[in-house]
Order: sequence, then structure tokens, then C-alpha cells
Amino acid sequence: MYWTGSCGGCDVSFLELGAALLDVLSKVEIVFWPALVDAKRADVEALPAGAIDVALINGTLRTEENREMAELLREKSKLIVAYGACAHLGGIPGLANLSQREEILAAVFGDGFRPTPPPGGSPEDAPPELLAEALPLSAAVRVDYVVPGCPPPPGLISRAFDALLGELPPTGHVFAPEKALCEECPRTKEERRLTQVVRPHEVLPDPEKCLLDQGMICLGPVTRGGCDAACPKAGMPCTGCLGPTPNAGDQGLAMLSALASLVRAGEEGEAAFASEDKVLDAIVDPVGTFHKYALPATWRVPSPLRGGGSGRGGRP
Amino acid sequence: MVAFLCRWCAGAGADLAGTSRLQYPPNAIPIRVNCSGRVEPSWVVDALRSGADGVLIGGCHPGDCHYVVGNYKARRRVYLLRKVLEELGVEPERVRLEWVSATEGARFARVMTEFVKELRRLGPLQGNGQG
Repeated sequence: MYWTGSCGGCDVSFLELGAALLDVLSKVEIVFWPALVDAKRADVEALPAGAIDVALINGTLRTEENREMAELLREKSKLIVAYGACAHLGGIPGLANLSQREEILAAVFGDGFRPTPPPGGSPEDAPPELLAEALPLSAAVRVDYVVPGCPPPPGLISRAFDALLGELPPTGHVFAPEKALCEECPRTKEERRLTQVVRPHEVLPDPEKCLLDQGMICLGPVTRGGCDAACPKAGMPCTGCLGPTPNAGDQGLAMLSALASLVRAGEEGEAAFASEDKVLDAIVDPVGTFHKYALPATWRVPSPLRGGGSGRGGRP
Repeated sequence: MVAFLCRWCAGAGADLAGTSRLQYPPNAIPIRVNCSGRVEPSWVVDALRSGADGVLIGGCHPGDCHYVVGNYKARRRVYLLRKVLEELGVEPERVRLEWVSATEGARFARVMTEFVKELRRLGPLQGNGQG
């Protein structure tokens, strides 16, 4: 298990397995896990290629060192699992891609900042360079499997361990259901018309009714299930951490499309245009709302649209 | 540029511009759709990603949609999509929604001329607002 640009939540998520974790631990040998065991990079480097059966990597790729470690673990491991939303899609740290690396460094450390070694240190003691953009794991190395989630819910962790310790699914498998989260959600859906958009702290939601029907931007319709609708059950809208369902495509744009369809301000028509726009204006930070976890996997900097594109013509 | 044109109004308007031999810039790759409300925001983004510097969505005038409310859906989607593009550093003017009826060949030609002029002013999408 390794962490790159990560909050540490993924490392802690295993504890949610409870007693079942003991069963897993009895079947594996941990060779490297900075959060848990004292093995160093040099110990991994000393291993022969393919010596590790499975490397679970969590976190966004943010620094040169993150990328080097991902490549090292790829070489030393038979299987690489992108563990958690950051490794899967880029995750919340990936929203930093809305700013240039230099802007971020200047905002945090002041103008003209360069990573330098501490006084008296050698050049290799300098902190690693930031990559130009935050990246999902698959941008650097071949990823065999994905355990999605922020952090992955216990049901999906068990599912992944059962498969990794038993029969392996085809490469590329995402250890989560293909159906949308709405299918797991116990809230009742009515005919959907959004006459207002509200943020979670602005209302006390009705305990029975669909949160989207109540004006919250819930990404349930475009997000994979697998968490048993944990957030909606607790009155919080889904923010999409399990990533898009296989046929949602661009998760954020699919939600944008669905949401725009549902907005109403009285009778539809030209007279309602201005008030409809006002409803939509209540969405603070549309990218952060719709692409909360998947920005780096969907859009790239410095030209964000160039991500998955082919060549370009250059003329209007 | 890519132009998504609804088959009932804007597409027919484009045909009329052609049969009327109106002159307008030949920069658009037209894609006929059944309704402007069928245009997914992800198609617009795919067009921009694939090299288009702008996307036009042509639909029926308010009240005239063949499917009653498709053009209203399109309008709300474009409104929101343009906000997303702006936040990502892409000029929202690159995505334009226009109402063109089947009888408005001249209007279609004018929209095309104006939009191409606007896109030339903005320049190629590469090296957009993000640098």
C-alpha cells in the first residue's frame, strides 16, 4: 500500500472492515506501507521485478516523487490497484488544476518560490518538484483494477480483497456496481422539477424525499452505487466519489445536462428564461460541484480541453 | 466549428440559405440532430476537444419546438455549460445557441458570418485562458 498526494483517509479506510480485516491480514504479507510498517523506498528498490503481488496505491499524482514511486511500484508489482477517488480519477486535490502550478506555489509560498534543500543539505534533500498538473494514477502507469470511493466504502474493499485473494476479474475492472447510486437510495422520487437549487447547509432536508427533488445537487443519477447510498441516507447529497457509471461518460457534464433539464421557474417559455437562469446562478462553483473528483481524469491543463482529444485543425 | 442543427428549424433554415444561394463562411461542420434538446453538453465538449474552436447549436424559436420544450432544455444546458467552460478557462463565447426558423435562411447566414468573425477574434482554442 502506498500513498501519493493523499489525505490519508484511504489508509484508514481498511479499519472499517472491522474484524474482517484480521482475516485479510492473516492471508497477506505487508512488504511496504508507509502509514503502517517501517519499510523504505530502498527496500522496494532492492526487490526483484514483480516481487510484490498487489500494490494498492492511493492519492493524486502531484509531485515528481509521486510519479517515480508509481513507476517503481509498477515495476515491482504483478498488479496495481488504484485505490480511492484520487488514484482513480484525480480526486479533490485535482481541483487544483483550475490554477497553474506557478499560481499555486506563489499563493502558498510567495512569488519566485523554488524547491530548495534545507540549509546545509545536499541537492537531493530538496522537496520534489510539483508536476504541472495533478493526475490520476493511470496517467503514469498501467492500472489493473480500481477500488473507487472517497474513501472506498467497506463493502467495496471486501469485494476487492475477495477478488484479489480469490478469482481475479478481467483487467480494468472497477470494484463497484455498474448501476447508479439512485438504485440503492431509499428516498422516494417524484416527478422531478427543480424550482430552486440549495446547498446542504441552507436547508433541513425532508427525511423521505429525494434530495434532488428538494433542490440539492445530488450526483446519484450519474454515479456508481456501492456505498449503499450512505450520504443521501444521512441527508447529504451524493458528490460523486465513486465515479461515473459506465454509461454516464463525463460524470460532471452528464449531471449538468440532467440538472439543466429539471430546472423550472413556472411555465416554461421565453418569459421564464431570466428566472430559470437565476435558479441556475445559485450553483456556486459549477466545476467544483459537477467535477469534484474527476477533473484530472476528464480535463487537462494548460489547455483543459485537450485531454482526450485527437489532433486539431487550427481554424474556426 | 461544429454546428448542431435541429432538423425542424435551424437545419431547414440552413438548407434554405443554401437553396437561396446565400453566401456565408464555409467553416461549419453541420451535424443534424432531431432537436436542440438532444445535444448533450459532452458532445459540445467533444467537438471542442477534437479541434473545433467553437460550437453552434441551432434550435427553433421559443414556442416553436417540434418537441414542445426541447429548445428550452438546450438553453438551460448551454447557460450552465458556458459557466463551466469559463471556470475552466475556456471563453464561453465559443459555445453559442441561436434560434433559427425554417424560413430564416438569411438569419442562418448572418449567424454563421457573425460567429465565424467572433471565433476569428478569439483565435484558435489552443492556448486558451489557462495559458
